[in-house]
Amino acid sequence: MPSTDRGVFSLIIINKAGGLIYQREFQAGLHKLSTNDYLVLAGTFHGVHAITRSITPKIPSVQPPSPATSSPSTTAPAASSYSYPNPGVPVTGLDYLETDKFRLTCFQTLTGTKFLLFTDPLTGNVDTIVQKIYELYADFVMKNPFYQIEMPVRCEAFDRHLGAWLRGRA
Amino acid sequence: MVVYSFYIFDRHAECIYKRRWLPRPTSIVGKSRSEAAPTGLGQTVRSSDDDSKLVFGTVFSLRNMVRKLGGEDDNFVSFTTSQYKLHYYETPTNTKFVMLTDLKSPSMRIALQQIYINLFVEYVVKNPLSPTEHPGGVGVNNELFEESLEQFVVCVI
Amino acid sequence: MAAPPRHATMLSISNGDKPAQAQPQTQQTTLPQSPGLRVPSNRKTIYDRHLNRSRNAESSRASFAFLFGEMVTYAQRRVTGIQDLEKRLNEQGYPLGLRLLDLLFYRSTSTSSSALSSSSTSSSPPNRPLRIITLLHLIHGPLWRLLFGRAADALEHSVSPDTPNEYMITDNDPLVNTYISVPREMSMLNCAAFVAGIIEGVCDGCGFETKVSAHNQPTDLWPSRTVFLVRFGDAVMEREKVLERSGVK
Repeated sequence: MPSTDRGVFSLIIINKAGGLIYQREFQAGLHKLSTNDYLVLAGTFHGVHAITRSITPKIPSVQPPSPATSSPSTTAPAASSYSYPNPGVPVTGLDYLETDKFRLTCFQTLTGTKFLLFTDPLTGNVDTIVQKIYELYADFVMKNPFYQIEMPVRCEAFDRHLGAWLRGRA
Repeated sequence: MVVYSFYIFDRHAECIYKRRWLPRPTSIVGKSRSEAAPTGLGQTVRSSDDDSKLVFGTVFSLRNMVRKLGGEDDNFVSFTTSQYKLHYYETPTNTKFVMLTDLKSPSMRIALQQIYINLFVEYVVKNPLSPTEHPGGVGVNNELFEESLEQFVVCVI
Repeated sequence: MAAPPRHATMLSISNGDKPAQAQPQTQQTTLPQSPGLRVPSNRKTIYDRHLNRSRNAESSRASFAFLFGEMVTYAQRRVTGIQDLEKRLNEQGYPLGLRLLDLLFYRSTSTSSSALSSSSTSSSPPNRPLRIITLLHLIHGPLWRLLFGRAADALEHSVSPDTPNEYMITDNDPLVNTYISVPREMSMLNCAAFVAGIIEGVCDGCGFETKVSAHNQPTDLWPSRTVFLVRFGDAVMEREKVLERSGVK
């Protein structure tokens, strides 16, 4: 069993327009940035995420009249018909990023909100953590009548439950 | 595992080498194309030209982000999406090696490092005929490097 | 008290069966006279159903949270301040309390009264409470169980001799506030003012003139602990003295 009590460094939530709506540090381990830098980071990541999705390799499908491939038209197939490497799975942008010091997990909801979780590279069950955070978000942010959609999250109950849950795990 | 493509970017953000492989199931179709590609590396295949810029933009942004958060000595190793895995290796001289593979591949950091040390340095850097800079996107046009890279990818990986 | 069940069911239930869904399409054309009310094929509406049928049914906490969230948002429109907002929430709860009272009495008399009547009311068959203590026990126990599925956490009498008409009912974690985070600039606000309104309605329905307000009293363990301050009117206090002298319980 992987050690699940390793650290969760921080959490960032990005709305569907690429704006930073939540940033919280749980454990030291990463450099602290200024608020402005976090905003820039969120915007940059939003763009990069879209690009990583668009550079998905496209595999030309083998078409029945394959003799055509021996002809000089070598540049054509990329444009015509292709399939993705994992045909059954929806194409996503960046899901996990690994570095020497941390691991970034990006979870994008169906509505376009992105949860960026920075953890220790050895932290296990990251997906479970992200799912739980999404659940807490759905409960304590989306059900809060004082929360304005797409705006920065300032929900004390969300902070409290998030902190308590992560502490409970550690 | 399958390697989809491989890129080298120099310190001026210029894509100096690019190579695409097609997955093995369609290897017969792929061969004829990959044979054609090396002759006019990078710049001939138009559809992938934009790709290389996007790839560079991605790794460059991510690298900067990682350095900001993890410190100057941190580096990003790879990232995955639901479809592919991108491996990244940067030399001390700021040359960047990028490889796109399928999801099953293990960490390619060592492999990229070997490509750098054993192939790039040996056949490109040490080649007196090879330009040190690549203004205007001349690119690495070196048969020895091509062939050994092909071999390396086919055999080792 | 035209239709208590309709409103009471808002909180205490979700109907176990959904009559409207079973309705065949052909029936719809035969009932043009009731556009707002959906009538099932057997012509039995929700009003024809036995009131006790949904007594143990529960409604989804999430749907209640969203509904209540909308109620708060609605009440927030064009308010002048926190007090005004709390007043509006209170006003939303008040009629609910009035109507709920009937259902509460109906259910506690029509059944063996083992589940609903609290320890205090079990001695006598549940009547309309005449004394303050009986009323407060009714709120603390049966009413709270009807609304939230559990009794309230504390019931206290004001210790100050100046305010003998003040009683406090404490809920450590009010259901209505579960998902609500009040912004810092409105820290005085407590959305349980809605529940305070229900209590006020119940008291009024019993003939006790009252003002009820909800106050935040957070503790480390219970961050959303809420105290409902029940202030009885002078007339009530006077009557209470008379009743005490004549030994009415």
